[in-house]
Amino acid sequence: MAQMEFIIEISLENKPAARDPVAETIKRDLLAKKGYENVSKVRSGQYLRLILKANSEDDAKEIVTNMCNDLRIFNPVTQNLNIINVKKL
Amino acid sequence: MTKVNLNGEEVSVEMPKDEFEKVKELLNREPTITELGGFDVMWSEHCSYKSSRPKLKLFEDAEANYDYVLAGPGEDAGVIDIGDGYALAFRIESHNHPSAIEPYHGAATGIGGIIRDVLCMGVRPIALLDPLRFGRLAGNSHSQWLFKYVVKGIADYGNCTGIPTIGGEVEFDDSFENNCLVNVACIGLGTIEDFKHAPSRAYNPGDYIILMGGSTGRDGIHGVTFASRTLTEMSEADRPAVQIGDPFTKKMIIEATLEAVKTGYVRGLKDLGGGGLTCATSELTGDGNTGANIELRKVFTAEPSMTSYEIMLSESQERMAFIVKPEGLETVLNIFRKYEVAHAVIGKTDDSKVLKVFDGEELVVNIPARALSVSPTFKRQEKRPEYLDELLAQPTPEPSKQIGEILEILIASENICSKEWIYRQYDHEVGVRSVVKCGDGDSGVLRIIGTNKFIAASVGVNSKHCYLDPYEGAKGGLVEICGNVITTGAKPMAMVNCCNFGNPEIPESFWYFSKAVEGMNDFCRTLKIPIVGGNVSFYNEDEVTKTAIKATPQIMIVGLIEGYENLITLPFKKAGNDILILGETKAELGGSEYHSVIHGLEGGIPPKVNEDKIRARWNFIYALYDKKLVKANHDVNKGGFLVTIAEMCFKNKLGADLDLSSYKANGLRDDELLFSETVGRFIIETEQTSFNDIMLLASEFNVKVTKLGVIINQPKILIKGLENQDISLDNVKLKDLYDSTIPNLMEI
Amino acid sequence: MTIKIAVIQFPGANCDLDAVHVLRDVVGVDTSLVWHNHFKEADFDGVILPGGFSFGDYLRAGIIAAHSPALDEARIMLKDGRPILGICNGFQILIEAEFLPGALLQNDSLKFVCNWVNIKVLNDRTAFTHRMKRDDVLAIPIAHGEGRYYTDKLKELEENDQIVFKYSTEDGSYNSKANPNGSLENIAGICNLEQNCVGLMPHPERASESILSPKQTTHGKIFFESMIEFIKRRST
Repeated sequence: MAQMEFIIEISLENKPAARDPVAETIKRDLLAKKGYENVSKVRSGQYLRLILKANSEDDAKEIVTNMCNDLRIFNPVTQNLNIINVKKL
Repeated sequence: MTKVNLNGEEVSVEMPKDEFEKVKELLNREPTITELGGFDVMWSEHCSYKSSRPKLKLFEDAEANYDYVLAGPGEDAGVIDIGDGYALAFRIESHNHPSAIEPYHGAATGIGGIIRDVLCMGVRPIALLDPLRFGRLAGNSHSQWLFKYVVKGIADYGNCTGIPTIGGEVEFDDSFENNCLVNVACIGLGTIEDFKHAPSRAYNPGDYIILMGGSTGRDGIHGVTFASRTLTEMSEADRPAVQIGDPFTKKMIIEATLEAVKTGYVRGLKDLGGGGLTCATSELTGDGNTGANIELRKVFTAEPSMTSYEIMLSESQERMAFIVKPEGLETVLNIFRKYEVAHAVIGKTDDSKVLKVFDGEELVVNIPARALSVSPTFKRQEKRPEYLDELLAQPTPEPSKQIGEILEILIASENICSKEWIYRQYDHEVGVRSVVKCGDGDSGVLRIIGTNKFIAASVGVNSKHCYLDPYEGAKGGLVEICGNVITTGAKPMAMVNCCNFGNPEIPESFWYFSKAVEGMNDFCRTLKIPIVGGNVSFYNEDEVTKTAIKATPQIMIVGLIEGYENLITLPFKKAGNDILILGETKAELGGSEYHSVIHGLEGGIPPKVNEDKIRARWNFIYALYDKKLVKANHDVNKGGFLVTIAEMCFKNKLGADLDLSSYKANGLRDDELLFSETVGRFIIETEQTSFNDIMLLASEFNVKVTKLGVIINQPKILIKGLENQDISLDNVKLKDLYDSTIPNLMEI
Repeated sequence: MTIKIAVIQFPGANCDLDAVHVLRDVVGVDTSLVWHNHFKEADFDGVILPGGFSFGDYLRAGIIAAHSPALDEARIMLKDGRPILGICNGFQILIEAEFLPGALLQNDSLKFVCNWVNIKVLNDRTAFTHRMKRDDVLAIPIAHGEGRYYTDKLKELEENDQIVFKYSTEDGSYNSKANPNGSLENIAGICNLEQNCVGLMPHPERASESILSPKQTTHGKIFFESMIEFIKRRST
């Protein structure tokens, strides 16, 4: 199968039940105080954008997921890997 | 895990079957799931000390026997009166298991926890210390990873809360490979007045109970698990195995708490740790002989739809419980509002002596307030390990290398080399109290602004010595850490300890704990050092290989220096001055760095402690201090006294010209003399003109003092008088080796 | 005249009490610790933004504190020429609030550094340095993780004499070893065009008492003494 290039965007976020002090502080001490009370929730994380060769979108997702698990790119104790978007280059 | 039957359902608990029966007996009925969760956590080894309490009873009653001890073991922190109207609180704790799973957050939340304990005494936390243990670093990426992130976790949390880390200690050894040790200590400062009015417990009915700080979430819920259903909506994948700390919230909590305490309206204060809200409220009321009525839906939660079990047992970080006098409620709440710390009035105390928690109309907890703290104790078996005799009999092999080469290897070895890589990451100057900084003395020294008093603090123990003889090793630890404090000019005032051992259900592991406690007890009673607190961490054992860590009873000593002119530092000051050694050296190389690094041996006879000699030596040193005769002081530890002398040379680029012919005795070989780790020895710098006075004083106190040589201007160490040829060592090279080890290992 | 100085206490500030202690007990000037929401510029002749971790340094060091109403008040002082000193986190806040140009990034070692350094005085006419002399070398400690100064307007800063301090060796020369965090051109502190607002990463409040200094120096005190003299001169 011909290999195509894909752009895949991922975020590494604290697990839902874990604290996210950065996000909480941004929402409480910056947004809410400066007139943006309509923002009801904030989560923080790290963003990575990767371009890679794969056979399909699903294949690209699998490669990146395995890679992140393998290399401990996200901290499995406190974070989850979130695939935001995949599309062909 | 034990399976028990609760109200018709099968449930798994940590506690053994007979304890479950005891719970039913105590309540005269089956517990609710929330109550059972509370007992399961509070009666666990970690919270109840059931294996250790019987042994810890050996310690004398510090509060009763020492008039300057204001709070002893059992309180949130030990507190001593240091004069001039000031009180010092301090405590040490362990956070070993979380740090082994997730070193950064584990260590950070460990710091968070110890800060809260000291804060509970109503005083400002002013210093942190951290004794650590890891597997060896060289060639071991797992140990390097743990080490790097533990240090970073401590640094980030401590720096953010503005509390300087002024000291610490680290040892690297295979036994800690899978069970790293992260012990954290905190010192707090307040006035005696603050302490007198300090919050203690909820001893008054009709007071308000306020929860303050971080919100209550689904992190860290332990204890009971159902066989057939889950207790919480969240799956394991969505809950972090280790909590995440929030040092910014902690800092706000510190300021808000201190301001609230100063109003005088805070009657009780407790931080929420193991067992969450259930345990904090039960301790406050149980110890205060009152009861409480709590509405758990008033608790502010991190997520919606939390069950009562989740709310009562959550171990979310950064939370404090306040007991506030009714007339002061608004004042205290206004302080919380100013600092924008989340808070809620969740109930009131009463005289019922029962802890009642309501979820709306439903009563989910209804237990005698003291019930959670009446955990059973175990009389554990102890048995001296059989491998010890063979281990102790290991002789010191003849050296196959030259002395100079051995010293170069030792000074660069992981347990001796410079730890600057660590302490550069800690803000050790915030608070403008740090007078003797990391690297300049054996203990961190802080000034008490507004007085001419200084406090010195040090922490540590030698695990390799304790492995061979926990009784002598624990005593040796006390000698070493007291020595660290004495070398900066202080008198040791009080001690807390953190016992790290293996599985107490295994007699050989429990034996180590038992002997270490006996050692600490005997030494402290003889030398009159009150033990004002302690912590025990068991089960530091590799499940797979069933090997326990080397026994590590960490000792922390706080000492007092009266007057700036009495401060002493470690580095040699002036060429021409004398180098004296206090104390004799014996062939006690068991567990020494020389044995392990050069010969790959763990055994041998470890150092023994003679309390009378130690007492005489310390009194002699105090007499020298009175006469202002000591210009530098450093106690001899790992690697022997050549390492000590080299370290004293480094900072001011000085050297030493030594003649050891008058110091050799008892047929010791050169290597035995130089690398023995006999405890309680000191290297001091004195002026040549004082020599005669010093020797006179030495005979008065019956202390062995020997002049080893003089300080010279060149960065060399010249040694004459050994069996073999004279030696010349290059200090520039030694310092380079000393400085490079950890950076080379940690910076790729 | 009674000179009144404010030290603004942001949530998470750590070195506020230290600054108050030095100003009040060492230098001897009327100093108030003011909670950020309560700060009113009309009450004060000079203001210090102290070090610490305001708002935990979350999102970016200094960014959340920069939105505090205290900065709106301080902006009035900035415009009318009253002295403003930003120390460490205070410097980061002044940068995010655009009182001073440039950015403060993570140390190039990626680690927090706590150590004593030497800084050379390049501008001795600011509100905080005119008791110093150009080319003086001061011993002051640093303690930060995000102190690497960067700007794309270096030439402008040089031409306008806005570079106040550079990390140097003890004898005043520049090399990378003397630079603890990788700052552009070893820049340790800068000022605004009018030279009444200074920001620096090192902590002068930790170097104002000989008992705390490795060589018993008190170079930090000179900052505050300069400020007092500056205020006195302005009022005449």
